[in-house]
Amino acid sequence: MSTDTWIVVGGQPGIANLVEAARSLDASVTAAVVGPRSLADSVAASGVDRVVWFGEDREAPVEAYATSVAAEVAAAEPRVLLGGRHPAERVLLGAVAASLRAVVLTGAQSVSIEGADVVVVQAVFGGIAEQTVAVTGPLALVLDGGAVPPLCDPVPVEEVDAAPMAMTVIENRPSEFEVIDLAAAPRVVCVGRGLKAEKDLTLIESLAGAAKAEVACSRPLAEGLSWLGKDRYVGSSGQHIAPELYIAVGISGQLQHMAGVRDAVTIVAINSDPEAPIFAEADYGLVGDLYTLVPAITDALS
Amino acid sequence: MRVAVAYKWTSDPQEASVGTEGSIDWSRAKAGLSQYDPVAIELARRLADETGGEVVGVTAGAAAAGSPIACKTALSRGVDRLVVVTDDSLGGAGTTAVAEVLAAAVRHIGDVDLVVTGDSSMDIGAKMVPTVLAGLLGWPAVADVTAVTSGGGGVHVEREAPGGVEVLEITGSAVVAATADAAVPRVPGMRDLLAAGKKPVEHLQLSDLGLPDASSQVTVRASSRPDTKVRKGQMIDAADPEAAAGELVSALRLSGAL
Ligand SMILES: Cc1cc2nc3c(=O)[nH]c(=O)nc-3n(C[C@H](O)[C@H](O)[C@H](O)COP(=O)(O)OP(=O)(O)OC[C@H]3O[C@@H](n4cnc5c(N)ncnc54)[C@H](O)[C@@H]3O)c2cc1C
Ligand SMILES: Nc1ncnc2c1ncn2[C@@H]1O[C@H](COP(=O)(O)O)[C@@H](O)[C@H]1O
Repeated sequence: MSTDTWIVVGGQPGIANLVEAARSLDASVTAAVVGPRSLADSVAASGVDRVVWFGEDREAPVEAYATSVAAEVAAAEPRVLLGGRHPAERVLLGAVAASLRAVVLTGAQSVSIEGADVVVVQAVFGGIAEQTVAVTGPLALVLDGGAVPPLCDPVPVEEVDAAPMAMTVIENRPSEFEVIDLAAAPRVVCVGRGLKAEKDLTLIESLAGAAKAEVACSRPLAEGLSWLGKDRYVGSSGQHIAPELYIAVGISGQLQHMAGVRDAVTIVAINSDPEAPIFAEADYGLVGDLYTLVPAITDALS
Repeated sequence: MRVAVAYKWTSDPQEASVGTEGSIDWSRAKAGLSQYDPVAIELARRLADETGGEVVGVTAGAAAAGSPIACKTALSRGVDRLVVVTDDSLGGAGTTAVAEVLAAAVRHIGDVDLVVTGDSSMDIGAKMVPTVLAGLLGWPAVADVTAVTSGGGGVHVEREAPGGVEVLEITGSAVVAATADAAVPRVPGMRDLLAAGKKPVEHLQLSDLGLPDASSQVTVRASSRPDTKVRKGQMIDAADPEAAAGELVSALRLSGAL
């Protein structure tokens, strides 16, 4: 095993957190990049020491390169591997971790090297506890990739021959939902299953309009009900956000939801059930029917 | 088509309690099928029915994963037979160790065309077992899959991509991880439960698969209960909605949140 760190980049440029975590380890940092040449160029100017690029193929999805990336990265025997949370990024990182039989961890809050150990502080089991763990062998960390890193002096892009696996993109269908960046919103109104019908989203949109906030939701409203786009749901498997103001409407406040919003500055909860767990994590709580409270607050704001 | 479906028998961390030093007490948490795995079973069942094939359930865990109730729960949801690998060391096993056992089980089953998994497990929830499993098998993997059908000498897989849906054609065996809403799982009835009791279950130990015990490669140095932000916890009486709204808005303005 070397002491090197590798970043696995799959199809998208939001890797600032990966570069920052890699740089903090005081070792050489190489990025393995799958995606268009423009992506390789942007990674080359992100502050890494080396970029290995697997070439371009319009029909092959990022995942088709998993075995090529795994072979290339495993040959370098890195100590730490970093990858983002997007599905294709996870597929690439999983393949590399498999080749190295690396320990895989998620939810890391910090990573450091202490002698022969890689030490990670991580949230475990949906955030109910925090652990400091040490790993001696190779370690693969799944992290929130973060923003596109600021540009610095580029390093050369080394192209390697890759043989994509037998998978092709045969169709693309645009989504009915616009793509948004929830993490950038200073205020968020988040709605949950307390909302009875899709048409009632207008109530939530009016409140968000009056509060100059973005609309977000709990997981069931985006996955399952499909009332809102999936980039709008907050939680351990959705968006992790830290807005100035978070207004939770008809949300019970389950662990996995709260894990995405714990760092919000101010939390307001509106829920008809006085026992709802969200009240224990709120700055301001209103027990009552959202159908009367939301319009009243909208009026009070306008 | 022979479809294997990976499911986990585990508990919900929401039901565990955490002591002040961060020790986790699972004794009051009830074990069950991991929340999203019934979706994977349903997808696997539909694909097998479409192609006239079978669904083989695979799981790796401590002894409880091989209990009659655990097996019946999986089998009653549309799985034809099970391969259950149990060992004490698999109780708290990490992602890679679990994936190694599942890879060995898939090879043991033989001629598997597709492995379907859930989105994330209820306890660890790393969304990485399927991708490491695919890496170990040397098969393509796709995560966040919303639909699978047979086609093109393999499968057609729909998955979410930024701004839309992509359809991929995969030739040869593959691993797909379903989203939480890829299918609506069936609710098993009395007949399904009775039929489940008669379906075959193959119980394996790690040694049957030529694997060593899954001792952890991670040393826990310290545990703690996370410091949660101290919140104001101020309840506003909402008996009069207008008054409550006014009070909330002034409080938010005063504190600078608005
Ligand atoms: C591995 C895993 C990952 C997960 N990841 C996420 C995640 O990332 N994000 C996420 O959100 N969830 C996630 N979940 C799901 C999570 O556990 C909860 O099921 C979910 O957050 C509940 O959503 P909810 O609060 O909208 O619905 P519910 O829990 O059903 O709560 C609805 C609330 O609305 C209130 N209500 C009802 N009617 C009214 C009314 N008229 N006025 C006011 N209030 C009303 C009710 O009192 C209730 O508290 C995950 C689960 C698992 C197992
Ligand atoms: N011990 C296990 N046995 C069988 N399948 C598992 C196991 N752990 C995880 N899986 C599968 O992998 C998916 C993702 O799990 P995870 O990577 O732990 O979030 C789950 O939904 C299951 O389908």
